[in-house]
Amino acid sequence: MTYSLAVDIGGTFTDVVLRGEDGSLSLDKTLTTHDDLKKGFFRGVGLVLDKAGVSPKDVTGVVVHATTIVTNALIERKGSPTALITTSGFGDVLSIRNEHRYEMYDPQIEFAPPLIPDALTFGVTERTLADGSISKQVDRAEVEALADRLRAEGVTSVAVCLLNSFRNAANEREVAAILGEKAPGLHISLSSAIAPQIREYPRASTTAVNAYAMPITQPYLHGLQVGLEEAGIPNRVLIMLSSGGIIGADVAARNPVRMIESGPAAGALAASWYAERLGLDRLLSFDMGGTTAKACLIENREPLVTGTFEVDRMYRFCEGSGMPLLIPSVDMIEIGAGGGSIASVDTLGLLKVGPHSAGSMPGPACYGRGGTSPTVTDADLVLGLLDADNFLGGDMKLDRAAAEQAMSSLAAALGADVARTAEGIYRIVAEAMASAARTHLTDRGVDYRGIPLLAFGGAGPVHACAVGELLGSSAVIFPPQASVLSAFGTLVTPVRLDLVRSCLGRLDALDWQEVGLLLDEMVAEAMDALAEAGCDHESVRLIFGADLRYFGQQNELGIMFAGDPRQHRDIAAIQADFEAAYFAQYGVNPSHVALEIVNWRLTAVGPDIDFRGTPPAAGVQGAAKRERLTTLWPDAGPVPVYERATLAAGQIIPGPALIEERETTIVLPPRWDAAINELGCIVAEIRK
Amino acid sequence: MDGIELEILWSNIIGIVSEQAKALQRTAFSPIVREAGDLASGLFDARGRMVAQANTGTPGHINSLAAAGKTLADMFANRLVPGDVLITNDPWLSAGHFFDITVLTPIFWDDRLIGFVGSTIHHTDIGGYGIGAGARDIHEEGLWIPPLKLYESGEPNPVLHDIIRRNVRTPDHVLGDLAAQISSGRAGGERLIALCERAGLDDIEDLAEEIISRSEAATRNAIRALPAGTWHGESRFDVPGGEVITLKAAVTIDNEQGEVVIDFTGSSGASPLGINVVMNYTHAYSTFAVRSCLNPEQPNNYGSLAPIRVKAPEGCIVNAAYPSPLNARHVVGMFVPMPILKALHQVIPDRVIAEGSGAVWTVQIQGKQASGEAFTSSMFNYSGGMGARASKPGPSATCYPTGVAAVPIEILEAAMPIVFDRRELRRGSGGKGRSRGGDGQIIGFHMNTSEPWLLNAVPSRLDDGPDGLDGGEKGAAGRFLVNGETLSESRKMTMRPEDVVLFETPGGGGYGLA
Repeated sequence: MTYSLAVDIGGTFTDVVLRGEDGSLSLDKTLTTHDDLKKGFFRGVGLVLDKAGVSPKDVTGVVVHATTIVTNALIERKGSPTALITTSGFGDVLSIRNEHRYEMYDPQIEFAPPLIPDALTFGVTERTLADGSISKQVDRAEVEALADRLRAEGVTSVAVCLLNSFRNAANEREVAAILGEKAPGLHISLSSAIAPQIREYPRASTTAVNAYAMPITQPYLHGLQVGLEEAGIPNRVLIMLSSGGIIGADVAARNPVRMIESGPAAGALAASWYAERLGLDRLLSFDMGGTTAKACLIENREPLVTGTFEVDRMYRFCEGSGMPLLIPSVDMIEIGAGGGSIASVDTLGLLKVGPHSAGSMPGPACYGRGGTSPTVTDADLVLGLLDADNFLGGDMKLDRAAAEQAMSSLAAALGADVARTAEGIYRIVAEAMASAARTHLTDRGVDYRGIPLLAFGGAGPVHACAVGELLGSSAVIFPPQASVLSAFGTLVTPVRLDLVRSCLGRLDALDWQEVGLLLDEMVAEAMDALAEAGCDHESVRLIFGADLRYFGQQNELGIMFAGDPRQHRDIAAIQADFEAAYFAQYGVNPSHVALEIVNWRLTAVGPDIDFRGTPPAAGVQGAAKRERLTTLWPDAGPVPVYERATLAAGQIIPGPALIEERETTIVLPPRWDAAINELGCIVAEIRK
Repeated sequence: MDGIELEILWSNIIGIVSEQAKALQRTAFSPIVREAGDLASGLFDARGRMVAQANTGTPGHINSLAAAGKTLADMFANRLVPGDVLITNDPWLSAGHFFDITVLTPIFWDDRLIGFVGSTIHHTDIGGYGIGAGARDIHEEGLWIPPLKLYESGEPNPVLHDIIRRNVRTPDHVLGDLAAQISSGRAGGERLIALCERAGLDDIEDLAEEIISRSEAATRNAIRALPAGTWHGESRFDVPGGEVITLKAAVTIDNEQGEVVIDFTGSSGASPLGINVVMNYTHAYSTFAVRSCLNPEQPNNYGSLAPIRVKAPEGCIVNAAYPSPLNARHVVGMFVPMPILKALHQVIPDRVIAEGSGAVWTVQIQGKQASGEAFTSSMFNYSGGMGARASKPGPSATCYPTGVAAVPIEILEAAMPIVFDRRELRRGSGGKGRSRGGDGQIIGFHMNTSEPWLLNAVPSRLDDGPDGLDGGEKGAAGRFLVNGETLSESRKMTMRPEDVVLFETPGGGGYGLA
């Protein structure tokens, strides 16, 4: 039998999923090994293969990998010396940023120092103008001297970002050619290749991150490949990207910036897969872990993708406080509300939850590891939603007295009792998530009411129905394998690459010849990349798109086309698609304003993955094992507690109920019913 | 109402106005709204007291909107019916110049008025002089819209719409942005009613009272923790044309009442240029300065603003009288916090910052494209350095008190035949000190054109740099050069095709002896 393998390295755990062609799944988790991520990778792979009794040589399907290595490199800033080359006179692009002070009210605001310091930033004499014409050629002697300088400084990687290079890359390519001759072995990242889009600061920032990550990522990916061969696994590794795309290791090694946050992206892909299987046009994934909660809209069975991402934020969750990246990435909101988030009473006497987190060390007070701050998990325990003796299948005892103790000072400050305080924390977490989701969805022109939630992560199932009630969700769905959902997501997603190129032009005066050449180049790049990832030329599907705006605006709106614009050249259709999308988002269409195309987009997708899901074992309907009192619903009396593993397809559980699995507990409020479907999902709905 | 229930309701109403602000920002035609977030959105109770504001926006707009909401609510009390929408751009009643139009939508639940949703945004055009400080009086600055009903019982006021359409240069954009303000008001109202239904409230009177009284009490308590007394601060700066402006602030802390009174007596008189500041705007930046040092984490509303009072003699530059021109009021308005922070330095030295470059330098260019087509650029801006803090340097190329973003060079070059020669930090321009002031920046450009072009640049601090604090040295003064020659000019200048422009923005002041 053929097997495929997925490995998702996260901050705490490395998750591994093995899938047989018959649909069978084996999974395991092992601690992430931060000193060398590869150790945990291969330990996890070994564990799963042993457990399933599968020989490495039978892993002839894909090996897909999502990793935090790039994010870690940026946050720890332990990369090797990296240089930035700019147009002479514009070397401070990373320090000047966009000048924006992201937190208006804080006079003590701080900005992260640039990833590449002044001393390693060099200007070269050259200039490309906005129309793509070159007004100053690159001076060979100057760049040759610079190559010597870089070697002398011990620089191993260089980012090149010249003005207007998104329009004409000739000067950047010339610099790269000279550096390549004079300093062989130097890693070179060109902004015209990494992020060929208008706006010099985010393009330079993206290129700098790419250059910084390259010397770390290339040996890592190479080491994985060697390790797989040594382990007797025949296939090459594929890499998950932030956009939800999957691509060969060689392409990823040249574009490491695109690997950032690929784990959460894979979680969104798993949600897409469930949307497809369950026949849902829209779904909101809700992933709540130890420190944060994330949500992502799945629309028409695909996660929303945005053109930008921000990494290493100085102020947690504050937009504008990190490094901007022009990379296609799954459009996700993240707020500081997880199981470890700390509750406090502010100077106005209001109960607040997060953004500070007790993390996993010391963790919530009930972990008994020295934490004394009251957290969301402590509140869940005090409310009776969690079982102190059955957390992580009983492997970890929770200390209820410590949780109550931590909660008591809060209760005193609020003038409430401990139970009311715990209930307040429970409600406020749901409010915070619902509010973030509303803003996120409204901002994208989506009516948030009636969209089903897909809940996962350690704390997600505990809080999902409360969030669902506030958002008016039609259902809350709890998938199986929720603890390794990201790894699962990589296994149900086809190979895919998303490309973007800026080429500004009024729609009514489009130079189709120029556009045709640009799109031809993009298609060739995508085809090469997908071929490297093992896709046949004929199996690749191409989807074209563009980012447009009304002339005079500065924010673009992306649309995807039904056909190939190179053949149709249909301006009226593009205009109609854009105006419809604009209306859907903003509810108005300004008249008499011309359209401008800013970016062209291309998504190239390999063949679909044939995987139908794993039905739950048929059998006897599981009965409640125990009962527990919860103060969340004081009138409900003792609440039945089920074990998820004992539930059979077709079974219906009336709320209130608690459904426990090893890593989490599903909280089903009164008035809700939960049904177990043939995919093994638990689908909760408000009783009609 | 306990701290749990109140937190839930309060965060919900902040969520409502923040959503509306975000929607406005994304749809606006006005580039300064989109790129710089130059807008405000707020929710008011039935008496016109601001209960919540969006967590985006600039201080000048936010706190001015608080005043405008109250004024309009009082003016139209008992004269409102469902479907009405109020409008004004009266500088003295709202945000200090004609470009900023405030729209206030009464929220009726059935037939009961339960509150208002309001927004102020900077529009693309308002007729008259256009961008810049060159008009001789307020009437040259454009269309004056007194407090009026823009919609009556759900019907647009056709006369007012026609007048606006005929009196602005970009009618589609202005009316489009007004429509966005109206729809944001309606949507905010619907959300508020839905919240009341969900929470079982008949209106927001009790909720508003709770929010306002808790906020006011917390602000008063924070003030009571400070020593009583009167402290003085003075800032001097030159504006385009060379005029030197003095702002004097006497900051009195009454720690029994828990009140701060800021008195600008002794400040410069009115300027002949359009840089005069109305009281609303002075009040906005004064309360901003105090609150950002005192209790920045606390939400802004009627209650948190009430304990801070601001006075200035009628007709002085920070309490402009009719018919003083006001168009470029940010040129002076953004210096309003500086004397206050200098005074507060004597009270809370660790929480203030030294003087910085103050106003951003704004630029607008008119000329001809290579095709011969005329263009007028949008306004773009550059920051100098921020002042140093007690324990850390001032950020470079970053503005305080505003924090607007700059437009990328590539976006500007794609929009008009401008070619930038350099844009770098102006190293060493930040004042020395225990903590250094932030550096300004150097921006050089020319036009790739064979036609004359118009430059409308508004620089400031060309004679004298920002003061340091506590022994820290001054930041470097700014420089504005054309073809290598220093200029000080405030009006639109006709340039020759080959002219080369260089801006050197000021550095921030240092903090403490080096």
